[in-house]
Amino acid sequence: MDNFEKNIRDNKALFDVHKADKSKLWANIEPRLESPKQKVKTIRLWNTPVFKVAATIIIALGVFTLINTRLNNNSEQNNFASQELSDIDMHYKALVAYQVKLVKNNTQLSFEEKEAFLLFMDELDDEYEVLKEELQKDLDSERVLEAIVINYKKRIELIENLLNQINSSKKMESDDVYML
Amino acid sequence: METNILYTHKELVEQSKLGDRNSQYKLYELYVDAMYNVSLRMVRIKEDAEDIVQDSFVEAFNKLDSFKYESTFGSWLKRIIINKSINHLKKRKILATPIEDQMYRIKAEENEEEAPQMEIKKVIKGIRLLPAGYQQIINLYLIEGYDHIEIGEILNISSSTSKSQYHRAKKKLIEIVKTL
Repeated sequence: MDNFEKNIRDNKALFDVHKADKSKLWANIEPRLESPKQKVKTIRLWNTPVFKVAATIIIALGVFTLINTRLNNNSEQNNFASQELSDIDMHYKALVAYQVKLVKNNTQLSFEEKEAFLLFMDELDDEYEVLKEELQKDLDSERVLEAIVINYKKRIELIENLLNQINSSKKMESDDVYML
Repeated sequence: METNILYTHKELVEQSKLGDRNSQYKLYELYVDAMYNVSLRMVRIKEDAEDIVQDSFVEAFNKLDSFKYESTFGSWLKRIIINKSINHLKKRKILATPIEDQMYRIKAEENEEEAPQMEIKKVIKGIRLLPAGYQQIINLYLIEGYDHIEIGEILNISSSTSKSQYHRAKKKLIEIVKTL
């Protein structure tokens, strides 16, 4: 820095030769200033006890409603399934009972033969009970119902086979008589 | 000690940040003349300088939160004034510092003779007689005390351009002052 520059820098204050019109300028400045910041009192709603209680109630209600809806759905499904089941039962039970009666009353069958047959029928009965329980557990109602129908059909088929056997032996016997 | 300088008028600044009108007025009173002179040196027209000072104080107080004591409040405020003044000149198409054959000039200036100390009043008068571009760079470097890197940022030119422009401006200024 040479003397020329040094002299100017040292006497900087001398360059401020003008005076501002303070009040005039301030009058133009002040209206444009932002108003003093108001301390905003923040109330944290989620921290108040009332809010906590309300939130708990709302959550509880929500969970209750959700569970309730699910249960309703389930019971509707169950209602539908048991309706179906009772229809199936009505149809097949009568059929099976009638044929079991026929077998029992049949005089041509030995006691052992009847026992063996009825034991097998009992097994199918047990299977039926298991299927019925499964239906209540709501596993897959359509498949369980199908299995129940198959169970019934098996019984009927079994009885029919037995009765056919009896009938054919009767026929054979009569044929024999004829032959004799 | 540097810290102390940075925190000049800290109390007033902090109160002003909260929007305290009295503190804002006290700061305004302390700096308005200096800022008015800074702006007037740049834009030369009284009314324009007043507008710039008003806008700058409004902006400074309204965004005072962004002032983090990285410089003194005075130099932070002065930078706002300088930027607004430069923008004003750009709008008025009084462009800063013409750029011409600067490489040649830099070499020529290295052999410059040392300038003598000169009477401040004559220097002030001489600066007014300089072309607008030269006035700006002389004001920014010699009187406002910015270095060439800062002037480069303010005028959006490189620091070497700032340097060469300054040397030319200074040479011209000395020539003018000698004739006064």
